Amino acid sequence: MSNDSDVKFRLNNSELWGGLIGLALGGFVIWSGLKLKLGTINDPGSGYVLFYTGILMCLFAAAIIIAALAEGGPSFGSRWQNTRWTKPVIVIACLVAFAFSLDTFGFLLSSIPLMVLLLRLIDPVRWQLTIPIALLVPLGMWWILKRLLLIQLPSGIFEIG
Amino acid sequence: MDTLINVAHGFGVALLPINLLYCFIGVFIGTLVGVLPGIGPISAMSLLLPITLSGTPESGIIMMAGIYYGSMYGGSTTSILVNIPGEAASVVTCIDGHQMAKQGRAGPALGIAAFGSFIAGTFALVALMLVAPKLASIAIAFGPAEYFSLMVLGLVVLTFLTQGSMAKALLMACVGVVLGLIGLDSITAQPRLTFGRVELIDGIGLVPVVMGLFGIAEVLLNTEQVIKRDIINTRITHLLPSRADWKASAGPMSRGTIMGFLLGILPGGGAVVASFGSYALEKRLSKTPERFGNGAIEGVAGPEAANNAAAGGAFIPLMTLGIPPNVVMALLLGAFVIHGLQPGPLMITQNPGLFWGIVASMYIGNLMLLVLNLPMIGMWVQLLKLPYNILFPLIILFTIIGVYCSSNNVFDVYVMIAFGVIGYFMRKLGYEPAPLVLAFVLGPMLENNLRKSLILSQGNLTTFIERPISAACLALAIVLLVSPLLPAMRKKRELVALDEGA
Repeated sequence: MSNDSDVKFRLNNSELWGGLIGLALGGFVIWSGLKLKLGTINDPGSGYVLFYTGILMCLFAAAIIIAALAEGGPSFGSRWQNTRWTKPVIVIACLVAFAFSLDTFGFLLSSIPLMVLLLRLIDPVRWQLTIPIALLVPLGMWWILKRLLLIQLPSGIFEIG
Repeated sequence: MDTLINVAHGFGVALLPINLLYCFIGVFIGTLVGVLPGIGPISAMSLLLPITLSGTPESGIIMMAGIYYGSMYGGSTTSILVNIPGEAASVVTCIDGHQMAKQGRAGPALGIAAFGSFIAGTFALVALMLVAPKLASIAIAFGPAEYFSLMVLGLVVLTFLTQGSMAKALLMACVGVVLGLIGLDSITAQPRLTFGRVELIDGIGLVPVVMGLFGIAEVLLNTEQVIKRDIINTRITHLLPSRADWKASAGPMSRGTIMGFLLGILPGGGAVVASFGSYALEKRLSKTPERFGNGAIEGVAGPEAANNAAAGGAFIPLMTLGIPPNVVMALLLGAFVIHGLQPGPLMITQNPGLFWGIVASMYIGNLMLLVLNLPMIGMWVQLLKLPYNILFPLIILFTIIGVYCSSNNVFDVYVMIAFGVIGYFMRKLGYEPAPLVLAFVLGPMLENNLRKSLILSQGNLTTFIERPISAACLALAIVLLVSPLLPAMRKKRELVALDEGA
């Protein structure tokens, strides 16, 4: 708990950073609203609601920042304390790699390696199970979608699938 | 008499073989996601939203509704047998349900949960049949000012009931409104926040946002922990509760049903609040409150009835006003919109087959659930043994396919992954996604009604307080916004705060 309470003014106060991100987003929304034209109260323009929502965002973010400075907040480290933080990082990395490869390599060539990685890296599944699951599930889904539901999944540069 | 004719018409629609099939698929998947911890009705509904496109609107919406109330049934099984809530509304059931199971009374606990759910679900449907048409006839008189104020109230109630800081929940609601406004302005057709991307001209889709924030983020959070399951291994017998069990449960069930239904109607309220409220009420009314937490059947009967009645009640604001009171109903609204339908006061008169068909299917679905959850309980227990290291990769793959199928667009997969990562960090930093999603759905309607009311009133802001319904909604919203500043109210809020995303 001491870790939670002694980070009032420190840079690793996660509450403070949350508020600052909110404030920056609010500022951006206000600027976007102004750029889109506010119009008048009789005839509000495209930026009218955005502008006032941005102001509200800044107010709420300011409240979070004030609370973070006055009461302190948990550090970033404490948020991930006693967790297997590497696991979500691995899953995120796999998903990002999948996102980049989907258009280029198509659904089948991207999803089979994705399944192998996820099955082996989260909590390792035996290879005897990993291989059939990683092959059969994407192939099965692809077959159902393409043949039964007539949905075309991305086939990539090799036009597989 | 009119109601009876309409109900008969509804059963005519619901009993069509294709609708019966969709209803069964819905309640089956609902029970499945209710049973499996880590996947809630929101993820399942967003995953299946694209599939609703393949059939008639009735079939699709019957299936989506089935997933919602089916998950309420299934959630209790996991709570009782594993002590892990299958979905958020079953958190309270763990307390006494699992204790009963440990004492060898898993059967009566499961039985009373299923019967309580059935009775409450039936009551909610009858009440829905009686209340919805009346409310719809009143809602016809609603103008943009009333709609705007009602939506503001709905968002404020949800932020009030969300776990943690209210400032964070309100910030999330604002972010949701902004995200909802991305794309062409519905009045001036001017592109907003599109950053020159053609894919954003039509705005961000609901499916990738919801699947990212609830599906992917949930998996990311779950992979952080080693999930331990304490499954009751004894044979489950005596599913029919004894006379004494019925006697002890009758009062809690009745009170839970009425409380749940009323809380379900409230915008922002819902099954989670209802189940917690019912448990607190029963404990307070009990002559032996010390039994609560040690296997009191009242602690299972009341909350289970309450969460099912609330699930039924939640359909009222959506069907009669077109306003989704919670995230699940927002997804259902998405299903209506996909089919070019707009729920609201005119839907009951203009599309009676759809409205009464859905209502009748819910009754049939409740009967199916009773069969699925009692005689087939063994199957669900086996399912609880499915390892998570296989389940999570499958969920990820299904969400990717679900998102792609909703739009046939790879860009939506990128959006989902981005929102999955954002959702994970949001949850880690204590920002709940539920207000964001509800505001995302309500945002465009909120803006439209605000601008319409300002144009109609020639910029006169008093239009919002001159109209009684609008004034009452705004007054209540202000009270809720100000109340956390009072220490006594802050404590009460913390007690009822919920976690919609669970």
